[in-house]
Amino acid sequence: MGRTLPSITQTFLQEQQSLARFRRALRLEDQRALDDLLAASRHHLAEAAYASHLLPFEIMLLAMLVEEHKQVIRLRDELETLRWEGHGQEGSKP
Amino acid sequence: MTVLSGRPLAIPSPSRNPTLYGWLFDAYPSGSGMAVWLIDADGQAHMFHDDFTPAFYVRGPRQDLHDLCQMLRARRAPVELDRTERIDLFLDRPLEVLRVGVRSPGLLTRLFRQVADFNPYLTYYDADIPLPQRYALARGIFPLAHCAVEHEAGRIRHIQALDTPWEVDYQLPPLRVMAMRLGGELRNPARGHRGDLLVQIDGEEYPFKREHSRQLLLGVRHLLERLDPDVLVTAYGDSYLLPRLLELSRHHGIPLPLNRDLDQAIAHKPAHSYFSYGRIVFSDEQHLLFGRWHVDRQNAFLGDDYGLDGALEIARLSGLPVQTVARVSTGTGISAMQVATAWRRGVLVPWQKRQPESLKTGLDLLAADKGGLVYAPLMGLHEHVAELDFTAMYPSIMVHFNLSPETVGAKCCEGVPVPELGTPVCSHRQGLVPETLAPLLEKRNQYKARIRELSEDDPRKEIFRRRYSAHKWLLVTCFGYLGYKNARFGRIEAHEAVTAYGREVLLRAKEMVEARGFRVLHLYVDGLWIDKPGAHQRPDYEALLEEIRTQTGLQIGLEGVYRWLAFLPSRVEARVPVANRYFGTFEDGSIKVRGIEARRHDTPTFVRETQLGMLEILAKGQGVAGFRSAVPSAINYAARQLQRLRAGQVPVRDLLVTHRLSRRPDEYIARTVAARVAQELTLAGVSLSPGERLRFLLVPGPEKARAWELIKGEIPYDRQAYLQLFLRAIESLLAPVGVDRATLETWLLGEMSYWGPVGLLPPQGTDGRWPLLANARPVRAEYSLLATSAFRELQRERFAPTRQAA
Repeated sequence: MGRTLPSITQTFLQEQQSLARFRRALRLEDQRALDDLLAASRHHLAEAAYASHLLPFEIMLLAMLVEEHKQVIRLRDELETLRWEGHGQEGSKP
Repeated sequence: MTVLSGRPLAIPSPSRNPTLYGWLFDAYPSGSGMAVWLIDADGQAHMFHDDFTPAFYVRGPRQDLHDLCQMLRARRAPVELDRTERIDLFLDRPLEVLRVGVRSPGLLTRLFRQVADFNPYLTYYDADIPLPQRYALARGIFPLAHCAVEHEAGRIRHIQALDTPWEVDYQLPPLRVMAMRLGGELRNPARGHRGDLLVQIDGEEYPFKREHSRQLLLGVRHLLERLDPDVLVTAYGDSYLLPRLLELSRHHGIPLPLNRDLDQAIAHKPAHSYFSYGRIVFSDEQHLLFGRWHVDRQNAFLGDDYGLDGALEIARLSGLPVQTVARVSTGTGISAMQVATAWRRGVLVPWQKRQPESLKTGLDLLAADKGGLVYAPLMGLHEHVAELDFTAMYPSIMVHFNLSPETVGAKCCEGVPVPELGTPVCSHRQGLVPETLAPLLEKRNQYKARIRELSEDDPRKEIFRRRYSAHKWLLVTCFGYLGYKNARFGRIEAHEAVTAYGREVLLRAKEMVEARGFRVLHLYVDGLWIDKPGAHQRPDYEALLEEIRTQTGLQIGLEGVYRWLAFLPSRVEARVPVANRYFGTFEDGSIKVRGIEARRHDTPTFVRETQLGMLEILAKGQGVAGFRSAVPSAINYAARQLQRLRAGQVPVRDLLVTHRLSRRPDEYIARTVAARVAQELTLAGVSLSPGERLRFLLVPGPEKARAWELIKGEIPYDRQAYLQLFLRAIESLLAPVGVDRATLETWLLGEMSYWGPVGLLPPQGTDGRWPLLANARPVRAEYSLLATSAFRELQRERFAPTRQAA
């Protein structure tokens, strides 16, 4: 309404649409992974809009990486915890 | 003369002419001036005449102005023509303009139209300010101002306001109200509902049989003449009662004195449909009275929200007549307030604004063409969440940073650059919009403080609440009007500057929140939802709030701390949260819902009440664990409601679905439910326009839906259709703890009712483990696809043997 440029959500949907053929060609399990990544980038649309980047897809990729990396950190933490619990109670977590 | 700001003026000096003290009630053009109505302290109405010559201004080449004057003189138009100087808002200097004073105010509109047709290429100013507002501005008074009027032989010699629109606890005149409606349920008579006419005045009710139209007319006339009400409050008066009464009056040849001023004919404005914010809106016809107000509760803008008290407050502030204020959006009110500021400054008010968007590069546009920050919240159920809200953020930004159409991008000084955009904002003169808004924000704060101070049983408390709500709506619309191309003082660059500051302020607040160890769950334009282990009480946030206030210069308050709060996923894509779909309970037990069925206008009352009833049960739970343990009681309540629904015991009026017509009935191609109802009404002789609301009942069989106005008594409803709406509403509430539709159906529709101990809800340990959306840190987010599917699996396992056994 009254806007000259498409909103960030519209831009996202356009980018998602442009991946339709790529997605179709992927194996089912890969399609699911791709959908997860796209959903993850959708969590950062406000930040992407604020960035005003000329190539919004780059920001979308970064948003996916951010979520992936958060997941890596979380898994690493959990792994560390499990490892220390597995080692017995003699030492505390560094 | 001007009294629209500052303290009340002194009592007028004694003179030989009599002086009347009373409240300004009505003013409209009449002959060579205005008819002015006042109501005195005894409730007596008085009419006076006041000579008044309103003027419009014209700018253009000398020869063209000369030709214009010749034309007016040749036509012997009742005008005064002279050259004068007035200030142009954007140039900030006086311009030489032609002043055309119209000696008969009532002719102004027609005369101006002739002038504009004669030469459409000239620039016109002050041409479409409503006459009552012009008159009030010229005399330094305002609607419902307490005035001292010096008069002689029915003519005003001097009129002066004794109070100002900025008084908080002002006195209003004693008004005698006559209420008028049709008997029976409140249904739209223009769609076929009929009933006897009920008139209420002075605590008495007078019913008039509709079969005896002559007696009815004589009865109403008698009441009007004998009791002389000031205000006529009707239900469907604009679209049905008044036109029907006038028709009867013509038919029987019995005059009906609806107007107090018998020399005037009732003003009629036809119905129309228009687009606003991407949807079509229907504005019903209007019947406006002279010397008396007609307020139609069914044709009032936000009538339920701020009522007549709020409308009177807007009339006092904006200078617009009460009958107008009761029917138009608050945007008109704020626009009128800006006109008043301009008028007091001697600034010309453009007739057709010529302020196109300035040229921008693609990169500039990319940076500027954005709204407020709307984040994706962390989905799921959270506890001890604080909601911080900036108070009237956009208006406060306009005032604090001096954002106005003429100050943004000004070249008069170096200015202060707008964040992100770099556009300079003039720093040496106050903008017109900030000047208008600053006292309004101040008055709103005063009401806020008074509401807090007054005890619940003080009758002023509710009145102040309504005025406060009216201010809220005025302030909400002022931002939209800054970017509206047709607004007199709108300019897109100013609008963009406001959102740029809004983003900057919100991000600064976010940084301060995070620096103090809080986690940001959600950001939404002017609000932040945050939590921190151990922060459960108001004092835990005081230092943070104070820091944000100091650093941003804007007021921010703690809306409350939630016992629990749920941010919901999208119905289309369950992995993605929706910014404004959430519900929660504050520490004091009050509930806040946004975007769920209970807030939607089209939700049937029964579904809304069920959802709110369940929420009240869930609200008793403290924290996430409390929410979970309240689920069984909430489900039991829903099961009882469902029993009523399935037994056909819910009354029809509680099941009505509301729908706004998006086109004319004959333009529908698909046979949607709304199209069917529209067709049913059309066949019954009702004419419908786009934007009108339909209320209907979903019924079994091929017809699918019936218009409410055409239903007599209780008829069977489509239980299956209502069941779906019912389940959908419950699903919204329980989704945060992983209860999906299939589970709900098992609980509510299966042979087994809700049987689970709380442990059957997804176990705590499975929450928030969906790979991508969980936070890096351990989270309490409870809703996730994994939780849902894991839960479903669990249910399947539990149910499999039962089903086999059955």
